[in-house]
Order: sequence, then structure tokens, then C-alpha cells
Amino acid sequence: MAGLSFDNYRRNKSLEASGVLPPKTTSTGTTIVGCKFNGGVILSADTRATAGMVVADKNCLKLHRLAPNIWCAGAGTASDNDKVTELESSQLEIHSQWTGRAPRVVTALTHLKQHLFKYQGHVGAYLIIAGVDVTGSHLFSLHAHGSTDVGPYLALGSGSMAALSVLESKWKEDLTKEEAMELCSEAIMAGVFNDLASGSNVDLCVIEKGKPSRLHRGYKQPNQRLQKQRNYNFDIGTTSYFEAGSEVFYISKQSDLETSAMEVDQVS
Amino acid sequence: MTSIGTGYDLSNSVFSPDGRVFQVEYAGKAVENGSTSIGIRCKDGIVLAVEKITVSKLLKLGANKRIQTVDKHVGVVYSGMNPDGRHIVTRSREEARHWRDQFREQMPIPTLAANVASYVQLYTVYNSVRPFGVNTIIGGVDDEGSHLYMIDPSGKSWGYRGAASGRGRQTVNNELEKLDFDKLTAAEAVKEAARILYVAHEDNKDKDFELEISWVTEANGRVHEFVPESLLAEAKIYAEEQLDADVEG
Amino acid sequence: MSIVSQSPYVDMKALKKGEVNLGTSIMAIKFKDGVILGADSRTSMGAMVANRVTDKLTKVHDNIWCCRSGSAADTQAVSEYVRLYLDQYKINYGREPTPKTAAALFRKLCYENKNVLTAGIICAGFDEKTGGEIYSIPIGGSVHKQDYAIAGSGSSYIYGLCNTHYKQEMSQDEAVEFVKMSLTQAIRWDGSSGGCIRMVILTKNGVERLLFTPQEYQLN
Repeated sequence: MAGLSFDNYRRNKSLEASGVLPPKTTSTGTTIVGCKFNGGVILSADTRATAGMVVADKNCLKLHRLAPNIWCAGAGTASDNDKVTELESSQLEIHSQWTGRAPRVVTALTHLKQHLFKYQGHVGAYLIIAGVDVTGSHLFSLHAHGSTDVGPYLALGSGSMAALSVLESKWKEDLTKEEAMELCSEAIMAGVFNDLASGSNVDLCVIEKGKPSRLHRGYKQPNQRLQKQRNYNFDIGTTSYFEAGSEVFYISKQSDLETSAMEVDQVS
Repeated sequence: MTSIGTGYDLSNSVFSPDGRVFQVEYAGKAVENGSTSIGIRCKDGIVLAVEKITVSKLLKLGANKRIQTVDKHVGVVYSGMNPDGRHIVTRSREEARHWRDQFREQMPIPTLAANVASYVQLYTVYNSVRPFGVNTIIGGVDDEGSHLYMIDPSGKSWGYRGAASGRGRQTVNNELEKLDFDKLTAAEAVKEAARILYVAHEDNKDKDFELEISWVTEANGRVHEFVPESLLAEAKIYAEEQLDADVEG
Repeated sequence: MSIVSQSPYVDMKALKKGEVNLGTSIMAIKFKDGVILGADSRTSMGAMVANRVTDKLTKVHDNIWCCRSGSAADTQAVSEYVRLYLDQYKINYGREPTPKTAAALFRKLCYENKNVLTAGIICAGFDEKTGGEIYSIPIGGSVHKQDYAIAGSGSSYIYGLCNTHYKQEMSQDEAVEFVKMSLTQAIRWDGSSGGCIRMVILTKNGVERLLFTPQEYQLN
């Protein structure tokens, strides 16, 4: 059956009670933002994934394509975001084939919010959903419990306060595409540098009316590893040795390498 | 009905080659022989009336009521198989109660009639059930005004100014057509209903009968109730006088 | 209103770790020509303002709106259901639902799911017959028909104020001023209310929306 299975819920609870630690989820302790501009809407995200205090992935992709014209950025539990967006994108594809129309942003939003509300916050997906459709361009945020918000600019995740400080001070009405891209990446960088759980690069996606959506993977890479000032390889001959040499082995038959066939009595 | 079923009358779910469902038509026969009932939608409300033939001298007068209340503002009377009628009343009450529970308001009578008609219709499309052998007259007053509907065994529901069903329906219809429903008050309609039932009873004179009349009017606060004893007595006297006048004239 | 949950009556153990109990200021009043709904615009998530320009005044039918307080997710879900039911009512029965019917639907959802919901709702609507009605449906799912209703954590500060200053049959300008003045005080004394003041005016002429920014409503 499709959906989540709660078969082991009680077993896991009793295991936890008896001292067995539950596995850690990978969290996208994250900075994500979205911003509208005069010709469409932009999504942007950092690329750090963490598991507790460990960076689990230095360059993960937090921007998901729900439909060619609708994208979303995810904060919260990485696995839940991946699954919930994957499920939604296939639902939207089927829906748009049934209707013969490009899907609407509110369709994705409503469907996702009903799904998340059903699971009462246990599916830990915090999303910013953006897209253009026949009714215009849209920007929404969606919390794991199923509540939604609307706005001209939005930020979510542990770095949202840092990002919001940039957006609140620099956002203005009727931004151009270039201005909006700059504003979004600057907001994400505020998260990258000021929030411990956010880091690495800035991904950015531009969704424009009447144009294919464009994902800029690694739009900003402020944390590239620099060329080391010195090379730490040892010179050949640093370690002394007595003798050098090599031996050559020949493989006589291919079957020597394979598992031999079962032996059977030969009947002549 | 000229033709007979010739095998097509055994099932609800089979049409005859000329497009009829005989079981439904036979249910109509049960109604045609039922006791005469009347509904009148007049200026300020509705009146329901029924002629109850006294089939046994042992039956207690005034017991065995035939007009029933569905909700505060709606009454029902039926001709045909009485147990079927009571079942439809039960169903109508459920509909009205459910509506009250859901929306905290009185059920609009057109909607009630439509829902009850849908229910009746369901019993014409399944092989495992038989249609209801009754014509149901639903009447009442709601926020949109007064309403009178009659539902037949096929599930057909029409709105009427004056409705008649049962054995005396033709006589009653002739009499109803003479009334001016726009001018008629409920009190007058009660008397007319009594008179018309007395006229219709002329064809069946050998049997005794009881008269049952109820109403819902603006004046009584849109409540379905039996008319006061005094008015009923007055109506009976009026009916007898008119009848005598007709006979003499 | 908060992302997870709010209101003084919530079991603290039901809140997520680190979540603080925060709130809202909402109200609705009857006046000469109809009703006015009013609300602040703050949504909080723990100690953080998650949205400073929230719209807590939600349409459930052409002439019936509601003010939401409590969990944002719960109240959005409940009002979406009521909107669905009222739309179906209109389509199926070909007549406009009354504010009383809307309140009955809110009550049904809030009462029958009281164990899982944190929703305090004020349902208000204009109706040619009654000239407008206001129903308060607090947590638990009771219904209270009132001339004016206040709710949310900020309402505690303005019970006396509203009781003293509310008058029946106010003009529209007086009524707008009354709502603005009351919510200004609620926002001033309640830390978890804030942002703008939003209003929706429902009369026979239809719907009118008003927005007051902090600069516009604050007295000092």
C-alpha cells in the first residue's frame, strides 16, 4: 500500500524506552529563500546537509522541480523533503496529463498542505513553493504542520533570520530579474556565513513567465577550496629501501577465475 | 393499463420492450385503491386532509393517525400501503433531523421533497426490492414560503397548488380545480378540504369514515399540527350543508 | 496565531520542544449596516515571528468570513473544510448559506475533533434578513452568538475596554474606529500580537478590505 507505514511505531517506542538510540535523521539545517520580481519568481538555497554536528553533504541540492513551471526549496528533514517533493511531482504530472493543462501553483500547495496536515508535523518538510501558471506568478511557504503563508519574499530554515535581515532591508517593489537574483543570493550567503547549520554554495532557480525555468547550480561558490600554499607530497626517495622488483603472473585459462562448474559423474 | 407484463413484470431492473417498468406501475395500482388524501397550498399556508375509511367497528376513533409530522414545519399524508407510508415518514424525519444537525436550520421543503423522491426512486432500480406502494404528499411553510409536493412510486416529485391521491382523486381534482388558491385562506381551505372529501366519499357511501385535517400556516407560527377541534367540527358541518345543498339543488 | 499551537489553554506537553505559547488578537463586531472583522497580522513560531503580514481574516463564502486564532495549520484546515461545505451547499441547494449555518459547520468540526485541534474561531457574516451575525467558537467547540466577539491571547487585555465602549448601531466610520482602537490596545499589551491591523467590512454592498500599518494605527 502506498504511503507511510507505522507498523514498527510501538516497537520502536519501546526500544527507545529501553535505551536503544534511534537513528539520526539528516537535516537540511538550512537557509532557503524565495522572492518575486517583475517577470516571475526566484528560489534560492544553500547546499549544506547536516547529521547532528557533522556535515553530511557539502553540496546537496535543496531545490526540487515539482513541475516544469513549479519549483520548491526544502528545509527540515532531508528525506521527508526528497520523498514529499518526489511524490508531489508525479501527482502533478498525472494531474496535468488528466487535465491537459500546465499545473497551477495553488494545486501543488493545496495538495502538499493536505498531505502534511494529515501527518500532523511528523513529515518534517518545510517548503517554499514558487512558480508561474495561467493565473500569474506565485510564492508560498508551507510548514510541516500544514500551515501556509503568502508573500512577496519569504525565508525558511535555521538561517531564515539571517536571510530575512537582508530581505527586509534591501527588498523593494518591482525588482528586475538581475536585482532579485542578487538579493536572493545575498540573503542565502547571510545564512551560509552566519548560521552554523547552513553553508557551502548558493543554488538558485529562476522561474519566468513564458520561459523555461533555469536552475543555476552553484550560482555562488564562496567556499571553494583554495590551492594549498605548499605541496605535502613526499619526494621519491625520502624513504630508503633495500630492494625493488616485480613478478608477473599469467592466467592460463579464463575458467580459473570463475567458479568451477559442479562436478558430475561423466557418462560415456 | 391495457397491456399486462407477459414476463416483464417480475423484475424492477428490467424494462419491457415498450419501455415500461411494470413493478412501478403495479405499485401505482396500490395507490389508486388507497384512501383519498388531499393537499392544498393556499394564501397563508398549506392544509393536508385524509379520508379514513372505518374498516372495523372495533377501531378506536381518533387513534391510528394518518397524517404525520416530519419536522416542526412539515407534514406528510399518503395514500396506499400504510406501512410503506410510515417508512417514508421515518426516512423523511431522518432527512430533516440530519439537516438540522448539520446546518442548524429548518430543512427547505423543496430539498426535503427532492431527497425523499431520490430515496423512493432507489427502490425502482434494484431487483432485490419492490417500489413503495404510496403517493406521498409533503407540505409545509419555510423561509421561502409555503410548499406542497407529491411523490409517486416512481420517485417523481412535482410541486402542486392542490394535490389529490387515492381512490377519490378524480372527483377531488375536479373540485380542487374550482378553487382560487391565491385568495383562499388556510381556514377556508380546511372547510373546502372537508367538503371535497365528503363529495368524494359519495361514491363509497356505504362505508363510514373519519376525517383528519392538519395545517401549517403563518398565523400558527409555521407549525404542523392538527386543526383545532372546533374548526374541524365547523368544517364537517359546512361539508354536510354543502353536500345537502348540492343534493337538493 | 502560531505555527504549532497557541492559546492559554493548550497542554504545554503537547507543544514541541522549544516552542513558546504565543497568540493573536482578533475581533468582530456588528454595526448599523453589517459586520466588521478585525485582526492583527503576527504569526509566531516559538519566539520568532514567522510572518509579520499574515492574513487571519479568511473567506468561507461570499458574505461569510472568519477570524482565526490558535494553530495556523488547524484553523486553515478547518476553514477550508467549511468553505468546501458552504460551496457545496450553494451548488446542491441553490440558496445562500446563512452565517448561522457556517457557524454550525465550524462547531461541528471543532467539537467533533476537539482532541486534536487548537482552533479559536470567530465566524461573522452579512445576511439581508438579519443584517449580520457574529458567532464565537472558542476551543472546545461551543457556539456563542454575540453582538461583538473578541478572541486570541491579546483579547484578555481589552475585555473591559470593549465592554465599555461598544455601542449598538454604530456608523461604519465609528465601527472601524472602534475596532482599530481596540486592536491597537490588544497589540500594545500583548507581546505575541503585532504587525498590521487588517479589517474586512461586510455590508449589503459586498466586501471591503482595510489595512492599517503600525505607523497608521499607533497612537504615539
